[in-house]
Amino acid sequence: MGIHLLPPQLVNQIAAGEVVERPASVVKELVENSLDAGAKRIRVEVEQGGLRLLRVRDDGAGIPKDELALALSRHATSKIDSLAALEQVRSMGFRGEALPSIGSVSRLTLSSRAGDAETGWRLLCEGGQELDLAPAPHPRGTTVEVRDLFYNTPARRKFMRTERTEFGHIDQLLRRLTLGRFDVGFTLVHNQRELSNLSAAETAPEQERRIGELLGPGFANDALFLAREASGLRLSGWAGRPTFSRSQADMQYFFVNGRMVRDKLVSHAVRLAYQDVLYHGRHPAYILYLELDPVQVDVNVHPTKHEVRFRESRLVHDFIHRTLGQALATGSPKQDHAPLTAPAAAPSPGAEAAPAAPGPAQRRLSLPLRESSARYQAAFEMQRPPPAAAPDGAPQASEPRAEQAPRLGFALAQLHGVYILAQNTEGLVLVDMHAAHERITYERLKTTYEDSAVVSQPLLLPVAVQVSRAEADLAEAHAPLLGALGLELDRLDQGALAVRAVPALLQGADAERLVRDLLADLQAHGSSERIREGINQVLATLACHGAVRANRRLSLDEMNHLLRQMEATERSDQCNHGRPTWVQLGMGELDRLFLRGR
Amino acid sequence: MQISINREDILTPLLLVGGVIDKKQTLPILSNVMFRVENERLTILATDMEQELRVTVAAAGSGDCEFTIPGKKITEICRALPDGARIEVEIDGEKAKIRSGRSKFSLGVLPARDYPSIEPSATTHRFALDRLVLKELFERTQFAMAQQDVRYYLNGMLLEVDAKTVRTVATDGHRLAVSEAECDLQESENLQILIPRKAVLELYRMLTEEQAKTVEVEAGVNHVRMHLGTMLFTSKLIDGKFPDYQRVIPRSTDKVVLVEREVLRQALQRTSILSNEKYRGINFHLQPQMLRLEAHNPEQEEAEDEVEVEYEGDELSIGFNVGYMLEVLGVIKTERVRIQLANANTSSLISSEESEQSRYVIMPMRL
Repeated sequence: MGIHLLPPQLVNQIAAGEVVERPASVVKELVENSLDAGAKRIRVEVEQGGLRLLRVRDDGAGIPKDELALALSRHATSKIDSLAALEQVRSMGFRGEALPSIGSVSRLTLSSRAGDAETGWRLLCEGGQELDLAPAPHPRGTTVEVRDLFYNTPARRKFMRTERTEFGHIDQLLRRLTLGRFDVGFTLVHNQRELSNLSAAETAPEQERRIGELLGPGFANDALFLAREASGLRLSGWAGRPTFSRSQADMQYFFVNGRMVRDKLVSHAVRLAYQDVLYHGRHPAYILYLELDPVQVDVNVHPTKHEVRFRESRLVHDFIHRTLGQALATGSPKQDHAPLTAPAAAPSPGAEAAPAAPGPAQRRLSLPLRESSARYQAAFEMQRPPPAAAPDGAPQASEPRAEQAPRLGFALAQLHGVYILAQNTEGLVLVDMHAAHERITYERLKTTYEDSAVVSQPLLLPVAVQVSRAEADLAEAHAPLLGALGLELDRLDQGALAVRAVPALLQGADAERLVRDLLADLQAHGSSERIREGINQVLATLACHGAVRANRRLSLDEMNHLLRQMEATERSDQCNHGRPTWVQLGMGELDRLFLRGR
Repeated sequence: MQISINREDILTPLLLVGGVIDKKQTLPILSNVMFRVENERLTILATDMEQELRVTVAAAGSGDCEFTIPGKKITEICRALPDGARIEVEIDGEKAKIRSGRSKFSLGVLPARDYPSIEPSATTHRFALDRLVLKELFERTQFAMAQQDVRYYLNGMLLEVDAKTVRTVATDGHRLAVSEAECDLQESENLQILIPRKAVLELYRMLTEEQAKTVEVEAGVNHVRMHLGTMLFTSKLIDGKFPDYQRVIPRSTDKVVLVEREVLRQALQRTSILSNEKYRGINFHLQPQMLRLEAHNPEQEEAEDEVEVEYEGDELSIGFNVGYMLEVLGVIKTERVRIQLANANTSSLISSEESEQSRYVIMPMRL
C-alpha cells in the first residue's frame, strides 16, 4: 500500500478513539461545551447507560443556523482564534475536535436556537455524514442528542461494560462537573427517571448542601472552608479535617480555573500539607479550587486535559502547601462563611478578584452561638474559674478576648484518668489528655527547633552512597541548601556520594536511605521535606515520651491550663498520629440521648 | 531416667545460659534450654541459632538422655526453691517431673533432636589468652559498638590477634574505641574476627566468672569458640569488612590537654543537665590552663562550668556529644586523661595519661 491521505471520516474516527472512550466521555465533552456557551441550566438525559441515547440540553448562547454544519466539521471552534488566545484560554475546550469525533461514531442530532434568532434549526448527522438541516422548535440554547454510540465501530462497542457500570461513570463524571460550577443548575435523568436535580447554589449553605449531596453529609460537616489569595493565585474550597480521612484517595477534587485535574504537583503539595496531621496510610478528602491567570497554566498537555502544566510550578506548589497547611493548622469549628465565588462565572483576570473570605485568625475569635444554647449560658458562666485562679501560665490572649468564652470551655472533671470533661457553650467537650498534651509538646519542640541553630554531627566514618549520575549532579547543585539543614554531601566520583555530616537529631537514622529518598524527592518535585520529616519524627517521639500519661491526676487548674494551651496551639485538633484530641457532644446530641424536647 | 542436683549447682548454669535466649520467640523450641545427661554429668545448652552457650556440671543420676525444657520456667522454679534444696528431675514421656522437698512441678518437654545446633566451620586458629586481659579489652571497647545500625558490620566488635598483641576495636560511626594488650602466642599468623554485639555482651558476662585463669579461643572462617572452665561459648561471626580503624585515628593533633578525669567527668555531668536531651551537645572552650564547658537547651536555659587543665596553646572552641565523652571517661581508670585535638572540625583522641593502650576517637559536633 502506497502512502495516501486518510478520508476525513476515518480521521475523525481515529480522533474519536482518543477522546471518546465511553459514554461518559461524550457527556464530559457535551457538558463542557454547554458550560463554555454560558449555560445556567444543563439537563443530561441518559438511556441504557448512554449506549442508546445521550441528550444534553442547555440554555446557553446557542449556535446560529449557518454555523451548525461548521460546528460538526473538524478543527472548527468559536473558542479561540489565535495562538495568543490559546495561551490564555478560559474555556473548557479549544481544540474543535469533540463534536466531529462524536459525530463520526454515532447518530447525532444538533438542535439549537441562537440568542437573537427567530427559529431554531436542527441538523441530523450519521457517522459523520450530514443528512438534513431543517427548522425545528427549540428554546434558546442547544440540545445535542447522541444515539447509538459506536454503532459503526463494533470493536469499541465490545469494550463497553454493563449499562450500570457505564451509567456509574456518567454519574461520577457529572458529579465532578457540578462541583466545578456552583452557579449552574444540573439535572440528571436516566431511563426517564430523574435522579438528581441541583439548582444553582449561590449561597454558602446551598453550596454546602450540594457538596453534602454529592460527597455525603459527613464531609460537608467535617470540612474546613478556606480561601486565600496571594501573588496572583487564589485557593479556595473545602479541606476535609484530618480526622475525616479515607482509606482511599477517592474524595479528592482539585479544580484549576474550573477544570478538574489530577496533577502530580498538586497532589504532592496537598499531601505535604496533610503530612503532619494525617493518620498513617490514610488519604485526605478535599474539594479545592485554584484560580490563576490562564497564561500561567498550560492545559494543552493531555488529550483529556487531566494534567496541566504550571509555568511557576514551585510557586504554585508552595502556595497550595502553605495555604492548606495554615488552614489545617488553625482548623477551627465550622463557621459561616462567604459563599464560594463561582470560578468561571465572572472571568475576571487576577487584578480585581473577589474579596477573600474572612481570614483564619478572625474566625477563631467569633464563636458561633446558637439560639438554643443561650439558655445554658448562665450555667456555663458558673463554671468559669474565678479570675484569680484563672490559669495564666501561657501567654494569654489580649484582654478583650478573655471576655469571649473559650472554644474548649472550662474543665469539669477527669474521667478514669484518661479524658478531661469540659463544657463550652455548645455542650460537652471530651479531651484525650495524653493526645492533646502530646500535640502541644510536639508543636513547642518544633517551634524551638526551628528557632535554634542547626546542629550537625560530622561522621567519623563517612557513609558512601551509590547513586546515578543525575542524582549526584542534583546533590551537588543543592549542596548549600542541604548544608543549611545540617546534611553534608561530598561527591566521590561520577556516581558516588559520601555523607560527611548529618543533622544531630538524625544521627541514629539510616543516612543512606535518607539521602536516597531525598534525592528522589528533589528529582521528582524539585524540593524535599525528608530532613524535616525525619526531624519531626524524632521530635514526635520525644513529645510522646514527654506527655502526661493516662492515670495521672490533674487538678481543675491544670486541666483548664491544658485546654487554653490547646486553643493556642496549631493543629491541636489532632494528635501527632492524626487521631482526634477532642470531640464535641452538643447539647442537641445529649438532649436526643434522653429524648428531651420531643 | 533421673538426675539429682543441688539448687545452686543448677541455678548458676541456668542463669548463665539464660542470656542467650531471646525474649520473644516465633519458634517455640528456641525458648527452651537443652539438658544432656552423660556419665553423671549434666550439660545445659542454650542457643538463639547465632550463638550457643553450654555449661557442664556434675550431677548424680541414672541413665543418659537428652531433652529440652522451657528455659525461663525452669530457671524461675530453681530460683524460687529454698537455698540448699536438692532438686530431682525425671523424664516421664512428654513431661519433665521436678521434685524438691514437698514441691512438685511438671513441665512440657520437646525432643532434643529438634533443638537447633550451630555447625562450627573448620578451626583455623587456636590459642589461649589470660581471662583478665581479655575481659579488660572487652570492657574498654564494647560500649562503642553500634546498635542495630544498617551498616551491620558495626554492630559488633573486632578482635585482632597477632603474635605480640591482642586488640579489640568498636565503633558506631561517630566514635571509636580501640584497646590493646600484649600477649605471647606461638602463631604469628594474624587473626581478625568480627564478633556480633550480642555475643560480645554474653562473652563479657562469661569472662567475669572467676572459673579459670585462661580462656581457650578457637576460631574458624565463620565461628569463634571460647572455652572457660565449665563454659563453652560458640558464636557465628559477622561476615563483613570492618572499617580501617587505623585511618580514623587522628595523627596530626597539635593541641594536647591533660585533665583530672574525675573532675572533668563531674563537671560534664553537671553541665549536661541543661544540654539538648536528644543530642546532648556541649561546647568545650579551651584556653591556656582552663577548659570552659557550656551547654544550653531548647528552653534557652544555660549551664557553664570551668575545669583547670594542663594546656599551653591557642584558644579553641569545639562541640561534643557529652554522652560519648562520659562513656570514655567512665572506662578510663587512671587519674588524669590526655585529650588531643587539632581543630573544631576534626576528630579528637582521648587516652589515659600514662599509656596509649586504649585510645578513643570522638567526632566533634557542629553546634
